[in-house]
Amino acid sequence: MSNILELHSIHTFIGQFHILEGVSLSVAEGSITALLGRNGAGKTTTLKSIIGLRPPREGAVRFGGADIRGRRPYDIAALGIGYVPENRAVFRALTVEENLRIAERKKDDLAKRGDLIFGLFPDLKKFIKLSAGQLSGGQQQMLAIARSLVPENRLLLIDEPSEGLAPILIEQLMESIRSLSAHTTILLVEQNFRMASQLADYYYLIDDGKSVQNGAMKDLVNDRATVQRYLGAS
Amino acid sequence: MTWLNKNRNPLITALIILIALVLAFSGKSPQTTSSIILSGVTLAALYFLVASGVSLIFGLMDVLNFAHGSLFMFGAYAGWTFYTNPRLLFNTAPILLAVLAGLALSPILARFVALPRWARWLAVLFGIAMAIFALRDFPIDKLVAMGMSMTGKIIPTAEAQEPIATMLLRIGGMFIAGAVASAATATRSAERLEAPMSRTLGIVGGLVALALITLFVRDLGEQAILGTESNWRFLLALGVGAGTGAALGALMEWGLIRPLYARPIYQILLTLGLTFVFDQVVRFVWGPAGAFMEIPQWFNTSSQDCPSDNLLLWFSQHCDSIFVMGRPFPSYRLFIILVGAIMVLGIALLLQRTRFGMIIRAGVQDSEMVEALGINVRRVFTLVFAIGAGLAGLGGVVAAPFLGVYPGMAMEFLLQAFIVVVIGGLGSIPGAVVGALLVGLARAYGDHIVLAGIQLPWMTDAISGSPAIARASTVLIMAIVLFLKPTGIFGKKE
Repeated sequence: MSNILELHSIHTFIGQFHILEGVSLSVAEGSITALLGRNGAGKTTTLKSIIGLRPPREGAVRFGGADIRGRRPYDIAALGIGYVPENRAVFRALTVEENLRIAERKKDDLAKRGDLIFGLFPDLKKFIKLSAGQLSGGQQQMLAIARSLVPENRLLLIDEPSEGLAPILIEQLMESIRSLSAHTTILLVEQNFRMASQLADYYYLIDDGKSVQNGAMKDLVNDRATVQRYLGAS
Repeated sequence: MTWLNKNRNPLITALIILIALVLAFSGKSPQTTSSIILSGVTLAALYFLVASGVSLIFGLMDVLNFAHGSLFMFGAYAGWTFYTNPRLLFNTAPILLAVLAGLALSPILARFVALPRWARWLAVLFGIAMAIFALRDFPIDKLVAMGMSMTGKIIPTAEAQEPIATMLLRIGGMFIAGAVASAATATRSAERLEAPMSRTLGIVGGLVALALITLFVRDLGEQAILGTESNWRFLLALGVGAGTGAALGALMEWGLIRPLYARPIYQILLTLGLTFVFDQVVRFVWGPAGAFMEIPQWFNTSSQDCPSDNLLLWFSQHCDSIFVMGRPFPSYRLFIILVGAIMVLGIALLLQRTRFGMIIRAGVQDSEMVEALGINVRRVFTLVFAIGAGLAGLGGVVAAPFLGVYPGMAMEFLLQAFIVVVIGGLGSIPGAVVGALLVGLARAYGDHIVLAGIQLPWMTDAISGSPAIARASTVLIMAIVLFLKPTGIFGKKE
């Protein structure tokens, strides 16, 4: 299996703060890869570095073999990367339909992918004319993910999808993400270790902006000491 | 219905102010009331044209553009100059285009030239010296005088206009000056280096070609414009004003604002500084006095049937005024109101019905996310800046036959536009509409008080007002609104 995304020791600064001090990872095509680490370890910054919102100063970001470091976010996204930021950043003033339409890169993207999207998230079809600000937290999260599915993306970067959701919604969300992975590759940042461990095939552990450890998820689940040490949870 | 619910508070605030206005008008005769309201709406239309741009630009880019009043003024001067004195435009435009062509070389220069710091300063000095040298003895005063003496004696072409060969030298000099300046400021940012060579050369070549074409058709062009029927010439002048505003706005965003998105304070200082620069440029070129632009014939014919309250007669005779409730009201002001209304409608359609508008509305909330969806947000920023500046430029030309053109108009309209957007809520177009109406009506009511004086029930004689009342009234409304709703009527909580 080939790697669709590779980070080679990237260094990212926010202002003069050195946030990422050498993060490396690779994401195998078709897999779900979890990026784990405690709060403030640099997980979100890593995703933003990939999509170009926080361009790394050093290192290489390879997507589909090409170095994309330093390119503008819109340029990177257009290569086929979908970004689902934390805190369900849907456009509240736009309707559900507009939130999906705005992600179109070709005129008929939504028409083509509508079946897939509304099959995964039937609620969205019901509320298509409602403004996104009126949706519940869970529905907004669904919409944020659905938005990333409108164009045919080869890689999805999903940041903390379970944050602030009720347990029953988390179950539903996990189902959706699992069925998603049949269509695309996913790099998932998740605090909820139980969720991440059930979804992901591989994991990368970062701490203090540095890559610490990686491997198959099933090995990490049995390594209680590492989980305790880096994630503070069991 | 949901819209009503969502905007309950703003609507209540607007209602309170409306009631206050009704009370203010309660003692007046219907004639007086209607003429004050019409005057107020006229001003509101002009305020809206400036304020809508300020609001759009702030909403999307968080940039408070203090130079927006100057764009309004430049639009007015450009449209007026086109209308009365195209020779000035034809003789200055090539020079400006040449500097731009030089500056546009910067992506190429950034690739080959990397000057050390001290050499940059030398280059800047050299560029300035070159520009001064290229512009030496340029007969700007004679060119400007052409327009001023339109009705009187016309200065002969040979005196006002330099020979083509001299102009070519000036153009060459300004191109070099621009190129040197761009070499001095060239940075190796990824964006600059990525710009394809062919595109840069295309832009530079296009600008140079445009400069030369403008120069070579200057006589024919002038005759063509002055030969155009004056009404159509006026409509063209509206386009020239809007286009000048838009081009200037796009240029400002691209060259000056864009490098400073990370430093909002600097943007404020920069745009505020630009207002002073523009003010001096206008005073230098056109003089401090100001001028009136004639009202186009369509709205300015007096015949025995005018003014009339027969609408058909009024329209067919192009009367200069129309009877409203028995009082004559200038027709041209109705045209101003019409332009304002069309632009309100146009902006609403753009925002609500087009993909571009959808991107703007999304970008107002989170422009980073919009970019992460694969949309070139910077291009959207530049376009929105151009649209806002174009509206201001259009407003300037529309205002010119009503208020004239003068250097102080920039500051005056900037101030009113800021009051409008603060009242309406920064970033909200409905807010700009409501704010403009409130400020316009208050202004007109204040003007009325100045003329008629204030007479309260227990007074026998009216006390006369001072013009300061009209100006103070708008600030008073702003204070009341801010007290009731600190974010402005339609403002969202931050």
